[in-house]
Amino acid sequence: MYDAIVIGARCSGASTALLLARRGHRVLVVDRSSFPSDVISTHFLWPHGMSYLNRWGLLDEVLAVTPAHTTVEVVNDGISLTGSVPTELLHEYFRDLHGDDSGVVQSYASVRRRVLDEILVGAAAKAGAEVRTNFTVRELIVENGQVVGIRGRAVGGELVEERARIVVGADGRNSFVARALALPKYDERPRCTFAYWSYWSGFDLGPAQLHRRGRLACAVVPTNFNQNMVLVWGPSEWSREFRGDVPGNYQKALDFVSPELGEVVRTKGTREERIYGTLDQSAFLRPLHGPGWVLVGDAESAKDQCTAIGMTHAFRDAELVSVALDRWLRGDASIDEAMTAYGDRRRSQNAAAYHDYVCTLAEMRPYRHDELQLFVALRGNQQEIDRFIATHADVAPVSEFFQASNLFLLNDAAKESSADHPVFENFAETSRSYQQNLFA
Amino acid sequence: MIHQGDDTVTIELDQREDGELIGIILEAAHRRDFETMTRTATEVSEMTRNWATHIPWDDLASLEGDDDELAQVVADLTEMWEPAHLRNPVDPDEEYALDKNAYDFYRPAGCNLLTRTEDFYGWVQARRRTETWQYSRVLEAAPDSVAQITNDLGRRARGINFNSQDYLSFNTHPAIREAAARAMRDYGPHSAGSPMVLGNTRISDDLEAALGDLVGLDHVTLFPTGWAAGFGAVVGLVRQSDHILIDRLAHSCLQQGARAATRNVVRYEHLNVEAVRRHLTEIRATDTRNGILVVTDGLFSVDADWPDLVTLQRVCREHDATLLVDVAHDLGSMGPGGTGVLGMQDLLGSVDIVMGAFSKTFCSNGGFVASNSPALKQYIKMFGGSHFFSNALSPVQTAVVREATRIIRSAEGDVLRARLFTAIHALRDELTGRGLTCMGEPSPIVPLLIGNEKLARTANRLLFDRGVLAFMVEFPVTPTGSSRFRLQVQAGHRPEEAREAARIIEGAIADSRAYLSSAFGSAPR
Repeated sequence: MYDAIVIGARCSGASTALLLARRGHRVLVVDRSSFPSDVISTHFLWPHGMSYLNRWGLLDEVLAVTPAHTTVEVVNDGISLTGSVPTELLHEYFRDLHGDDSGVVQSYASVRRRVLDEILVGAAAKAGAEVRTNFTVRELIVENGQVVGIRGRAVGGELVEERARIVVGADGRNSFVARALALPKYDERPRCTFAYWSYWSGFDLGPAQLHRRGRLACAVVPTNFNQNMVLVWGPSEWSREFRGDVPGNYQKALDFVSPELGEVVRTKGTREERIYGTLDQSAFLRPLHGPGWVLVGDAESAKDQCTAIGMTHAFRDAELVSVALDRWLRGDASIDEAMTAYGDRRRSQNAAAYHDYVCTLAEMRPYRHDELQLFVALRGNQQEIDRFIATHADVAPVSEFFQASNLFLLNDAAKESSADHPVFENFAETSRSYQQNLFA
Repeated sequence: MIHQGDDTVTIELDQREDGELIGIILEAAHRRDFETMTRTATEVSEMTRNWATHIPWDDLASLEGDDDELAQVVADLTEMWEPAHLRNPVDPDEEYALDKNAYDFYRPAGCNLLTRTEDFYGWVQARRRTETWQYSRVLEAAPDSVAQITNDLGRRARGINFNSQDYLSFNTHPAIREAAARAMRDYGPHSAGSPMVLGNTRISDDLEAALGDLVGLDHVTLFPTGWAAGFGAVVGLVRQSDHILIDRLAHSCLQQGARAATRNVVRYEHLNVEAVRRHLTEIRATDTRNGILVVTDGLFSVDADWPDLVTLQRVCREHDATLLVDVAHDLGSMGPGGTGVLGMQDLLGSVDIVMGAFSKTFCSNGGFVASNSPALKQYIKMFGGSHFFSNALSPVQTAVVREATRIIRSAEGDVLRARLFTAIHALRDELTGRGLTCMGEPSPIVPLLIGNEKLARTANRLLFDRGVLAFMVEFPVTPTGSSRFRLQVQAGHRPEEAREAARIIEGAIADSRAYLSSAFGSAPR
């Protein structure tokens, strides 16, 4: 009998197991894979994601093999903004959400899952959690409506049965736990992006760059093994045509969004792996908890990759749920109280506003005149650029940036005007041309 | 971009992309070609296998003979492979109406000022067609605790009225109506001009004195609207080199006044007096020559809370800054003798500048600015453009406000406020008891938090003809993502009406959540 069985040993699962084990609980964590192991992921950690690793004592191990930076350049239709997530907003985030702001770091990193997940699993095992890899859960054991354990098997092994006071579903967007319990989906937003990416050596452009033009975007982010992740994405409505010639359209998208980057990749880059892709990105929530079970990470709330927030959110969930479960397991709170505390934070107004922000962005509509003018108004206003980046990354609440008096003040403080940016010449025509599927 | 002839090329590099492979598997499944399915699955990347753990990648051959399992796997693969919006079509009008916010239309494109408003209008029309446009409803008769209205599509509704700003129910009060009738007889409907010329009457002087008495300040100036009072006071006093510290949530007239007056505007965190102290110290460290105006509401009109004005006024004096407090919502409706938040904090007569509006409790348009300085009064009259260059309050309006002020100060005023607060408590208790979140403190404004705009807009649509009239506020009144119903209570509301309304509102919100299939709650963080 375990205190907790965690299904899934990646960002949310291994972290939850680690944190519960460190608090002295008996934890079993299982995963179908053996590590190191890759999985579809934009594998980006925003500064709060890095801060979680630092709070757990794992950041140094990650940084030993992973490049990290603080500033990021965001270029929307040629309007460039460079900034970083402000430390004071990070402190505020951790104080508000976790009541403790220790371990804040300001850097971000792109960590391959085959690197990161192995570090997390190793840390969970070191903390005393029992880790079983190559283990496939076949069934949840349900007694009197309550999940009380799992049945599953290791490769070629016997069917084994394990029991626990709580089963944690940390098994991703296509969660087995959610399917086994036939959980509904809420707040679905079907419009999302398609994304294709690969790993390139041969150039080093420094900090991450995110570019957007019309309905397409690309990012170049330095990652492990002296490689760059080069990612392109666009509206899923265009995915069929894109799929017609993946390598050709990948380069075509790069050239369209940022001819400079397209040129670098074409002339200096060596592709080190196949091109990967997904359009399984539509957003939804699932119920957070029920009798004998609780969900964390993508299993409870899946979102589009376009803000690259998934892993950071998985870490956040791990801290929130482990604190809640610890209170219950120690007898300091009833399970209902503990789960309500977790649920309040995960289903808050701020969470709803960010869900909408990501889903709307994921529709990849051409930027409106308003939005581009806002980017122009931000130029030269470093404090507000940084706050905008923090808002984009779900460090600062959407409501604090997108507030009437703030938007008016940004406007008034603008140092540049649309005259300084070519996208505003023939704006209507340009905007119309952006509606054309580039790959049709 | 495959580099041929390069020794480092791996097998991985030559493998096909997963989408192509899944396409082949789906086609093969259609032909029931299990051999091709199995062979193709071996080429699917580790990335995708670990992502789609629900697909039996290594066991596709075992699906032969199990049609249900095969159908499930085909459905699961299709879900990953096909754009989700093709499976879940949505009403484009409703999607557009619910997704956008007014700020999306603030900076329209184009050189033609007439045509570039069309984009916004398209959104308004989508909101109207989907009955999620909460603005511009009209009354069919004098509103009371119940009112009959028509929305902008011509649909009628009757309901318990939390949509009027008439905290003490003066609109139907006989003495108020009599005062209006008498002024009409004595002076006619028109004010003869600007108050700087001949717009005021004898009643205006009486009113200024009565208001001065109410707030404990000697020198009062009337404005034709509350908005004009706030805007006029700020632009009248502050010049380009001066500074303004303004609460982020202060009323629009003050925010816009601040923008018009100077670029040196700091929006401090709501109610945070320590933040004000910090900003003042910073400003005074480099600028001792120019003025600083600190601006706040008394009772905040969409959050129902108020600042510690005692400390705020002291901090201002310590830094040679001037405090302006907008008491539009609290004056008359709460506090000892109707003195509002100022009276509650024992600050009558000791705040630098007080401004207010008559439209909430005093049953009329109009506003005022008060201070202890006759010089400031004359200065604002001259340089606050909205006083000099507007016609004065009409005689009828002035007489109504004067009579309202009299009742507010009388024993009847105490009775009305007691009734008002009985209804407020009944409403808040019932809403809270039903698990909803009332923001702020008990006051005539009961902000019922919804949060998400979609939820708020559909709840508002559902509530329309269920027997409660409530105004839904969203951006630009609230920040995005924190929309709410602003329920404005009246002395005329019976406690049972308030409880009934709470029950109906809860039902509309629950139905809206079910309609949107939303799991989000309204806890703030």
